[in-house]
Amino acid sequence: MVKQTTALMVASIFAMSVPALAQQPAKPNEHVHDHGADTAPSKSANGQPKSDEHDHHDHSGHTMSQDKGTAVDHEGMHADDHSQHDMDHDHATDHSAHSAQSTEHGDGHHHHHMDNDHIMDHEGTMIMGQNLDKLPSSCKSISESVEITVKAGRKYARNFPGTAFAFDQQQWNVKPCSKVTFHFVNEDNIRHQFMMHGLPKYLYKYGMFHLEVTGPKTVSGTIIVPGSDDTFLVHCDISHHMEKGMKAQLVVGKGAESIPSIPGLTPYNRNDTYEAENLPKASDKAAQSAMVRQITAFTNNSNMQNYAMIGLGALLGLFVIPLFRKILLRKKSTE
Amino acid sequence: MPRHFFIAILTFYLMSTAAVVQASLKLPATVKVESAALTAEPMCDPKISLAWREAQEIDGVKIDASPGCSPDNPVWIAAAVKGTNNISMDTLMKTGLSPDAIIKTDDIDGDGDPDRIIIKLEIMELNGRSPDFPGIVPTFDIAPGVQPGAWVFAPKTSGMSTENFESVRANPLLRLPSPVIRVEQGDIVQIVLENTHYFPHSIHLHGVDHPFSHGEHGGQDGVPQTSEVELMPGGRRVYQFQARQPGTMFYHCHVQTHTHLAMGLAGMIVIEENKPNNWVQTLNIGGGHVRHRSVAVREQFDQEYDLHYHAMDKELSEIIQKYNDPRLIARDMNQRYDITDATEDYYTLNGLSFPYTLRESLIVVDPDQKIKLRMLNSGGELIAVHTHGHHATITHYDGVEHNPAAQIMRDVFDMAPAQRLDLKLETIDDGKHSYGPGDWLIHDHREKGITTNGMAEGGSMSSIVYKSYLGESGMPKVSHFGIDLSQYFTKEYFERRVPIWQNLDDFASLGSPGGDDGLSAANQATLLNALIGLLIGLLVYGVFAKREYIKQTFMAMVSRSKDAKGGTNNG
Repeated sequence: MVKQTTALMVASIFAMSVPALAQQPAKPNEHVHDHGADTAPSKSANGQPKSDEHDHHDHSGHTMSQDKGTAVDHEGMHADDHSQHDMDHDHATDHSAHSAQSTEHGDGHHHHHMDNDHIMDHEGTMIMGQNLDKLPSSCKSISESVEITVKAGRKYARNFPGTAFAFDQQQWNVKPCSKVTFHFVNEDNIRHQFMMHGLPKYLYKYGMFHLEVTGPKTVSGTIIVPGSDDTFLVHCDISHHMEKGMKAQLVVGKGAESIPSIPGLTPYNRNDTYEAENLPKASDKAAQSAMVRQITAFTNNSNMQNYAMIGLGALLGLFVIPLFRKILLRKKSTE
Repeated sequence: MPRHFFIAILTFYLMSTAAVVQASLKLPATVKVESAALTAEPMCDPKISLAWREAQEIDGVKIDASPGCSPDNPVWIAAAVKGTNNISMDTLMKTGLSPDAIIKTDDIDGDGDPDRIIIKLEIMELNGRSPDFPGIVPTFDIAPGVQPGAWVFAPKTSGMSTENFESVRANPLLRLPSPVIRVEQGDIVQIVLENTHYFPHSIHLHGVDHPFSHGEHGGQDGVPQTSEVELMPGGRRVYQFQARQPGTMFYHCHVQTHTHLAMGLAGMIVIEENKPNNWVQTLNIGGGHVRHRSVAVREQFDQEYDLHYHAMDKELSEIIQKYNDPRLIARDMNQRYDITDATEDYYTLNGLSFPYTLRESLIVVDPDQKIKLRMLNSGGELIAVHTHGHHATITHYDGVEHNPAAQIMRDVFDMAPAQRLDLKLETIDDGKHSYGPGDWLIHDHREKGITTNGMAEGGSMSSIVYKSYLGESGMPKVSHFGIDLSQYFTKEYFERRVPIWQNLDDFASLGSPGGDDGLSAANQATLLNALIGLLIGLLVYGVFAKREYIKQTFMAMVSRSKDAKGGTNNG
């Protein structure tokens, strides 16, 4: 008996892990394929295919992001990944090349807003509150430099039933005073944000650090975290993206109090109530039909039996009752 | 002894009658709700700069004056006319729009205006449930304190969905109604839907000349049962068309239309006649006054207004405030909500209900003007819009011009669901077109149309106001008639907690009665019970105190009866 149950358990674990295993190798391939499909409409969405001017306009953002997107998705190509991100930094800071392009474009304006607090390109890719060199007052020096790749997209919601969007990870840990570069990879075809709150306001306007990008594309930005243990909220502020799963936390050192309602990490403050529904099941249907068959078979048989019994009873009654009467009458008459 | 009983009963009776008499002698006094007890809002939103009302020019875009309380932000108009790709960085940063929200390029026909237009729309939720705190986010009030859950197509924005980190109020670009879209006949238009919402959606271009299918972008009719699959969250779809006919049209989501349309995924789309140098205002955010008219409309009319009538069901809109889990919302909306048992509760004009309609949707006129009104009914029922003081001419039905010789004038305009009417309103004081200057109501004459969840005055009513009747604040001047509109600008009014007629006279004859001063029926009953208890107590005490006497009397009675019995037996 014990042997049987353990065998069953092993089998079921194996059965459960097989689809999971099957999914994992499928992912990169699937994504590369996705990419090919996605880039075509996104290009045409900007109306470029028909005019050369448009191709120019798009060079800075799209082609780069496509390269980067695929680079990021290929596992084991991390070194390459970093070089791509360095390019992104160049893109954000070096504007001379692009402004030449936009004058060619003939619109006379271009939308690269430049100050340290707020960098934005013509597609709305945004780096806000970046801090490359200002040390927090609680730090004597930068403890370490780390790079964190954060992926965002609908597909990461798969791990958390009842969410719609998510980051690939829900928590990142860094040492106090570390210089952190976030590579924010948006894998959806819509806007997503990597927005961090509660940073010291003397270094970060509104206490915020904010990366924003329409995918599939990557944007990178750097901050220097404070010297004390703390936990910072990270979320996407597009209406109901945080509420529906796109929420995480950055833990500095030992961290502070955890932030609520991070998928898989901390409980919701307000929970929905769930009730099992009476959903149709394939097994129901089989069971039902089997039962119906049995019942009909049973009633057919028993009906036959019942009718036969009723018939017999009636006959018996017909014979016996007059007999009884006769007996009784005889008795009376004899009396 | 029986005398005592008699007295007790009499006292008890007198007391009870006295209580009843006292209660009916004087009815409860009126309790007046003090104005200090109400959450008063300023009639005009103080966040909106007075400078927005003025006629002005931004980045070369001429913007008409708009003297109402809450005119459109002029930078939005500049961005909508030139495109977010053609305005200055400074202007763009003031709009809050994404730099790729409206891309205008390529003068294909060489007539001085761009002919390739890309409009990016996102889908935003308003007044939805939060798993973090017992409130809703981001909030959008259609009237003071009235916050139905809604979904809208919104121009592609940049940054936060609330005003700022401290606020839960929605970014002003995220609002009802879905924006009015304006393009030129013959433009190659791409409406790019980026589905930022957690449900699948689509766009159906009702009345707009569009191909059923596009070689590059696939199905274009927005219908998941005929032309394309639902656009899932995180996805993007391009709807491309080149409209050959002008007219006032309609766009809406066609996924689970019976709920998604009522939730707010519906807007007006106008195809303007192709004219030289025709830079049309691609988006009229919030509808209402069109402050940069197309060439054709400028030629024929002095003013233009977009009037989008909509209706929402409270029970439907509450579903997104009841659950956070998208699966539960989907279950309730798709499988449990039954529109055939539903009633509409909120009636809006350009996304707002009275009194907020006075802020944004006043039709401000001068005498002898010709005004174009474009009307859309995106509610689920037929509406009947009445223009007080005016008869207007119906020039177009569903975007198609009516035979000019057969055009008729009316003062009630019935519109079936999804129907559009173009009206020519002429402020000629001849007793037919207009009865003269005034603050004339324009409202849905189904009486529920002037209520908000059944509370009047509310709903989609607004006014046609002559400038002589418009106050400096931007609100209609009504105080000289002794009219005070301030109670409508309180949330308590729509919570049904204000006796609306209490201020009509100095003693509040129709105010709220207080509770009973004397004894209420319930109190009387309690008192009676207490009295009965007291009497029983007295009786028991009396019996106990005089037990010897009672015993003797009893014995005496028994012996007397025995004697009597003996007597009869003997006898």
